[in-house]
Amino acid sequence: MEKSENVLEVENLTMHYTTRKGPVYAVDNVHFSLARGGSLGLVGESGCGKTSVAISLLKLLPENAEILGGAIRLNGTDVVPITETEMRKFRWKNISMVFQAAMNSLNPVYTVEDQILEAMHQHIPHMSEADMKSRIEGLFELVGLDPSFKDQYPHQYSGGMRQRAVIAMALSCDPDLIIADEPTTALDVIVQDALLKQIKLVQEKVDMAMIYISHDIAVIAEVSERVGVMYAGKMAELASTEAIFHRPIHPYTMGLMSSFPSIAGEKKELVMLPGEPPDLLAPPPGCRFHPRCPYATEICQEEEPEFKDHDSGHFAACWHPGGES
Amino acid sequence: MWRFLGQRFLQMVITLFLFQAATYFLIDAQPGDIADLLTLDPNIPPNERERLRAELGLDRPPVERFFKYIGNFYRGDLGVSFQEYPKPVIDIIEERLPRTLVLFLSANLVSFWVGFVSGKILAWRRGGWIEYTSTIAGVTLYTVFLPWFGLMMIWLFAVTLDLFPAGKFLSPINWLTAPVNANYIFIRMTISAFIALLIAFIGTLLSNRLEPRHRLGARLVSFIVPLAGLVYYWQTSEFGALAWDITSHLILPILTLTLYAYAGTMLITRTSMLETLREDFIFTARAKGLPEKVVRDKHAARTALLPVWTGLIFSLPAALGGGIITETIFSWPGIGLAYLQAAVVEDIPVVMGILTIIGILTLISHLIADIGYAFLDPRIRYH
Repeated sequence: MEKSENVLEVENLTMHYTTRKGPVYAVDNVHFSLARGGSLGLVGESGCGKTSVAISLLKLLPENAEILGGAIRLNGTDVVPITETEMRKFRWKNISMVFQAAMNSLNPVYTVEDQILEAMHQHIPHMSEADMKSRIEGLFELVGLDPSFKDQYPHQYSGGMRQRAVIAMALSCDPDLIIADEPTTALDVIVQDALLKQIKLVQEKVDMAMIYISHDIAVIAEVSERVGVMYAGKMAELASTEAIFHRPIHPYTMGLMSSFPSIAGEKKELVMLPGEPPDLLAPPPGCRFHPRCPYATEICQEEEPEFKDHDSGHFAACWHPGGES
Repeated sequence: MWRFLGQRFLQMVITLFLFQAATYFLIDAQPGDIADLLTLDPNIPPNERERLRAELGLDRPPVERFFKYIGNFYRGDLGVSFQEYPKPVIDIIEERLPRTLVLFLSANLVSFWVGFVSGKILAWRRGGWIEYTSTIAGVTLYTVFLPWFGLMMIWLFAVTLDLFPAGKFLSPINWLTAPVNANYIFIRMTISAFIALLIAFIGTLLSNRLEPRHRLGARLVSFIVPLAGLVYYWQTSEFGALAWDITSHLILPILTLTLYAYAGTMLITRTSMLETLREDFIFTARAKGLPEKVVRDKHAARTALLPVWTGLIFSLPAALGGGIITETIFSWPGIGLAYLQAAVVEDIPVVMGILTIIGILTLISHLIADIGYAFLDPRIRYH
């Protein structure tokens, strides 16, 4: 039973998109694990591969994408080599997802209840219809929705309500892991905040693991215990939220932190990271961050740094952790 | 709901009145009238022509005649044909309308069904050679010049292969000793086919509620049983041979119209389906671990149906109006042919009667479209 300690273990995951100009390595040798009931935030600029990691975990890849290597162990089972039909049993039952555009992730022609029931019929067929319906009512209350709304259509919901309904749907089959891909991005700040609190509450109550994907580190800080910082398809740094915010060692994370204003903390000048994220069609050799890195030396241009543990669970891929030479 | 229907009914009555007024005055604005045509012979004295005009009421001012026509229309009197005096217009419509309706409804329903299913599959299997060839064939059929296509079909199936008769409603030789007229049998055929179709439809609906593994069998049974019943009924009937005679005349025009109309449905379905497949809820459905068939049929096709449904409903009146070409090609004695014959000689009551009926059918199909839309799309509600 040693393996069941971690609900998810991702090892050297590599996924690329085939494009006319050549392969784009959106996910390159990404490595992380998630403990049962734990929470992980994935943060990074647009196009750094956050969402690609998410859809790789569900193996819901577009036609031009392919997982080239690595392992994704869900409760100890590697899902990379299994077939599509087998994978279907894992989806929603073990790993479910709240999407970036959750506003549109409900089908407009079916009631919300129908769409939740459908998933439950697929994965927990032994449950009686009446039990399922009362479970849906319970889930609605859990996510802060009035259960009497359940047989309404998505267009009768407001944006925030729809997002809550989608979360209820993601919880319906009692998954071990939920991936939330920018679930609050489309909402206004007030609704966003309420929803984040609800998500945190729900996660504590039902005790499931959660991967939270966002480009907004403030949001990530609020909901996750650990944070992974992605840069150009690679995991740059992975540590506890506290360590990422206060003791970042990868220069990219350091730059990211100092480019955000702090309301409560000391006043510092905001530092902007110069340059742009690299073109993934032709990533720079060595460390992918070196063209923008203030501490870059010769080795950074030539050799790729190893993603290793620097301080009991504080991983980073850098030749000069913390800026030391 | 009732208030909506009441309002719609009122709107329909007003629209119909405007439509009738427009057509009446347009026909009347044409130079000459039937009296000129009937008295072309120079030996007929001019006062005779005036007498005929007065007898047909053509000497009265158009406005007076129009309101008289409308008055009679709402009393259920469509007048008598000038050309086939004194045959009532309603008798002509009664005889001709069912033939046209059967032809176009069956062609439309079959083409809708086939077009929807094939369009759905084309979009689903995007990128293969099957999709390319089918799409090209679809565009070809959709844009083909119908009279030419009809002639080609006759040439292929009636002349070269000699499978079906080339045209007309029946072969008179088989009816010399027939105890009843053709319409009697035709109506019975239509009703029996409709009942069989209804049973098949209900059977399919019921079989969808069964468990997946019994579904296919139940669907097959619900198709085969009514079909076998229909064949058995006419086999044992004394009019079986006569019914077959009409049926054999029906097949070729229905086939031609189906091929012509199905391509449009297929292309609309394909486009609509491709658009739906890009929606986020399709991705969600996949993420929910639903089988691909459920994603395709329950989520994608059901949502993609909405624009296709509009297309179907609007094609119904267009088919009735545009039926003139088809009915001429196949010498099908339907309402389109009757309309053409009447319009050439300015037989005003027949032309008005037929146009009014087509107008009413158009209004009704729009109403059905709206009601159907509310059933299909929960976002649409009428107040």
